[in-house]
This record gives sequence, structure tokens and C-alpha cells, in this order.
Amino acid sequence: MTETAQVVKTAAPARPREKKRRNVFDSLIGRSALQILAVVGFFLLWEAAVRCGWLSGFLVGQPSGVLRNLIGSIANGSLFADTGYTIFEAILGFTFGTVIGSVIGLALWYSVFVARLVEPFIAAINSVPKIALAPIIILWFGTGLLSKVALAISLTSIVALITAYQAAKDADKDLQALLFSMGASKQQIFKRVIAPSTLPAIIATFRINIGFALVGAVVGEFISSQHGLGHVIYVASSLYDLNTVWAGLFTLMLVGFLFYHLVEVIENWLLPWKQQQGGTQINV
Amino acid sequence: MSSPKVQLRLNGIRKSFPGKEAATQVLDGLTFDIHERDFVSIIGPSGCGKTTVFNIIAGLVDPDDGVMLYRGQEVESLRGRVGYMMQKDLLFPWRTVLDNVLLGLETKGIDPKRALDTAREYLSTFGLSGFENSYPKMLSGGMRQRVALIRTLVLDPDILLLDEPFSALDYQTRLYLEGILMEAVETFHKTVILVTHDIDEAVALSKRVVVLSQRPARVKAVHDIALNEHSPIAARSDPRFSGYFHTLCAELDIQTRKSA
Repeated sequence: MTETAQVVKTAAPARPREKKRRNVFDSLIGRSALQILAVVGFFLLWEAAVRCGWLSGFLVGQPSGVLRNLIGSIANGSLFADTGYTIFEAILGFTFGTVIGSVIGLALWYSVFVARLVEPFIAAINSVPKIALAPIIILWFGTGLLSKVALAISLTSIVALITAYQAAKDADKDLQALLFSMGASKQQIFKRVIAPSTLPAIIATFRINIGFALVGAVVGEFISSQHGLGHVIYVASSLYDLNTVWAGLFTLMLVGFLFYHLVEVIENWLLPWKQQQGGTQINV
Repeated sequence: MSSPKVQLRLNGIRKSFPGKEAATQVLDGLTFDIHERDFVSIIGPSGCGKTTVFNIIAGLVDPDDGVMLYRGQEVESLRGRVGYMMQKDLLFPWRTVLDNVLLGLETKGIDPKRALDTAREYLSTFGLSGFENSYPKMLSGGMRQRVALIRTLVLDPDILLLDEPFSALDYQTRLYLEGILMEAVETFHKTVILVTHDIDEAVALSKRVVVLSQRPARVKAVHDIALNEHSPIAARSDPRFSGYFHTLCAELDIQTRKSA
């Protein structure tokens, strides 16, 4: 009895399996706490720097001023009006641009001849910085809503077109062959293979195009406008009213952020087959 | 013994593909018959154009020369009448199991209600009830290939073209699926052409084996396989199995015995 106990004792103790040390902050709450801490810290530092005179409030603005400004413009309703205006322009531009671009891009799949014919033109149009079109678009479409939407369309449609066309070209040839051997028509192959297999790529352009649509709307407002966040930012910066500029910028940031997450919701809804099934993640 | 009825005859099929310098001749006057309810395996050296034969039959590739006769009638291809199954399961990832099985029926314009009933019936026959609404990525390789087989069978094709359908699976799963295939072929009275690298599989499953030569491919030999049983395990236990196996290996110039 004692002998065995002895043996057990002298045997090299089984090394306890080294537990991977888990980062205490690596949870939703932990991460959120760190993120909020970083933001609050940043603004406090900024505020302090201005108050102590290390930074000029005239040139960089001041968080407390930005906050006052935001509260003021929320109270008089102008923030919502301007934000709503810009969002409206961006959504119109995004929707039309994405739809027009995707439809043309997918349609090019139907004819290799036409696709090859127009390829250099698409490349040429794509290589023009679309912002450079802004003055001419305002000449054509006026200083109202239409010119901002047009500018947003010019930015978003080409991205959607190129992505949709490329994805349609890359659609799995074997799936097409399989369907063809079953006797499917070109129309059926489009509907059953091309359209669904390009959908993830098209949705991926949503993320990019939401940003581009906002760029189009805001730049349009910079050049000539009576409303919108771009207008607010532009006017305020010409008056050296940095707090108002920041208020506009932060609102834009929030809008873009919300849109981005909206795309995620849409993605999960449209692509249920892409959802992660809680697979194993490799700890590298 | 009356000679069996010919279902599909390939006569003098030639095909070359344009290459960088010269065209590559792949099929050089390929001629063979497929009988009614036949099970023919096509074996041959890698790259000899076995898949091209299938693509021609299925209408994916046009031959340069030669004719195809289906039950005596000259046909361009059997597009829409074959069930083509490849090494990759080719399940549509955005479609559920049920929708994948429905794919061909939809394409054929079968009444949706009837198609749905048929699809469910096949899924339950092949033991996949309960997986109707799963997406392919949630299934194992063997299950996915089983769904692909159902998708092929549910169309009730005249001829099954199986292009190494089980070669990506592990041996156990392969034996299991071979068994399912043979049962289905019996039940639904199907004609099968199987392309395979696996001589073992060819002997176990086939009634006849067509051996192709190196590229440009011609028919080198046709062997009748007279085993009593074609269930995958029983066939492999048949005393004649190894004889056929060695004969076919010799045809393909594979050394199997240390003989002078």
C-alpha cells in the first residue's frame, strides 16, 4: 500500500494541462468597456488640452462646445433636418446607383461580345475621379436634391457594375455545366446560378457604396446647397466655427456606422446559407 | 444467347482542343455501345479524355466528328436526358438540401407540388429525411454526395453519367455509397456509365469495362465482367474478382505481379 503510494509520489507529476490564459477583457462587455473608455479618454484629453492652452480651441474646436452645439441643433430641430436631408440624398443615390450598376453588370454576362466591346469604356469611366464630375453635374442638375443624388449615383453605379460583372464572370462553371446538362436554358442558368452566386459580391459592394453615396451627397452639398450636413460643415468651416464642423462630422460618422450595420442585417437576411454555424475558430 | 439491345452507340467520335501551338487530339474515333440497363465503366490513363466523352454525351462539348445514336436515332447529344454526377458534389450552397434535389425538376418545369412530393419521397428513401432544410455546408462529404446522387436520380434520366463520383470520399463511405448506387440502379432500372480511376470499383460494379488507350483515346478493349453479385462487398469477395482486376491492371500497364 505504502509502496504504491511511494511510486505514485515519485512518478513525475502529470503536468496539469496548461490552460490558455483568457484575456479578461475578451468578452462583449469587456470589449465595449475598453472601447467606451478609449472614446471618453480621448475627449477628456482633448478638452483638457484646450482648457490648459496646449491646443488652440479656435483651430481644433472643443468637445464641450461640440456637445453644446449638438444639443442646440437637436433642440431647434436643424440637426435632424440636415441629417435627414443628407441621408435621403445618400439613400436615393445608393439605391439607384447600386441597382443600375448591378443590373448592367449582370446583363453583360449575357453577351460576351458586348461585354468585350464595352470593357475599355467601363475602365475609362472608372478611372475618372467621379468627384471631378461634381461641378458639371451641378450645372446639369441644379443646386437641389437631384445633383447630389446624381453625384452619388455616378460614384456607386460603377462600383456595383464592375463587381457584379466580375462576379457573374467568376460564377462556378461546373454548376452552370451541371444545369446545362439537365437541359436548362441560358435564362434558367442566369436565374439559378448567376444571380444567386453574385449576390454575396453585390451585397459586399453595399458596404463600399454606402460610404460612396455619402461622399457624393456631402461633396455635392459642399459645392452648392442650402441644406444637409455637408452644407453645415462647409459653412461652419468658412466661419472658423470648428465646433459646428465637428458636430456635423460626428453625425456623419454615426450615420455611416449605422448604415454599415444595417448592411450586415440585410446580408444575414438575404444570405442565410452564409451564416456561420458556430464552427471552430483556430487560435493562432 | 440473343445479343443485347443497344441503347446508346458512339461511333467514330473525334475531338481535339485548340492548344498554344498545335491542337491536342483527345478522342480519336471513339466507338462503343451501351446496352439497355447496362453498367459500363470507362477506365484509362489519366488525361486520356474520359471526361470529354461525358461532356460530349451531355452536350457540353460538341464533337468534331462522329455520330451518336440513341435507340437507333441519330442525336446531337443527350442534353436534358442524362443525369450527370461529378467528383465534386456540385450542390448549390445557397440552396437547402430539398431545393438542391428540386433543382432539376424546376428546370424541367415539373408542377411544383408534384416536384416537392417526389423530392421528399426520394429524400426519405435515401435516409435523408430531417435534412431537407439544411444547407450543404452543414453536411458531411458522404451525405453531400448522397444528396447529389438523389438530385441525379430524381430526374429519372435515361442514362446516368458518373464521373468519379466517389473518388473524393474515404473508403468506408465509398463502399456505402456504391451499395446505395447499386440498389438505386436495380430499383429504378437505370443505365449507368461510370468513369473511374479505381479498377477495383470498376470490376465490382460493372457489367462491362471499356478500357481507353493513351491520348488520343481509342477503345483498347472491352471486358465483360461476369460476377454473380454486384453489391460492392460481395463482388469483391467473388473468386473471379482478382482475375479481372489483374487483367485490367495489365491493360493499363500497371505492374501487379512480379512476373517476367
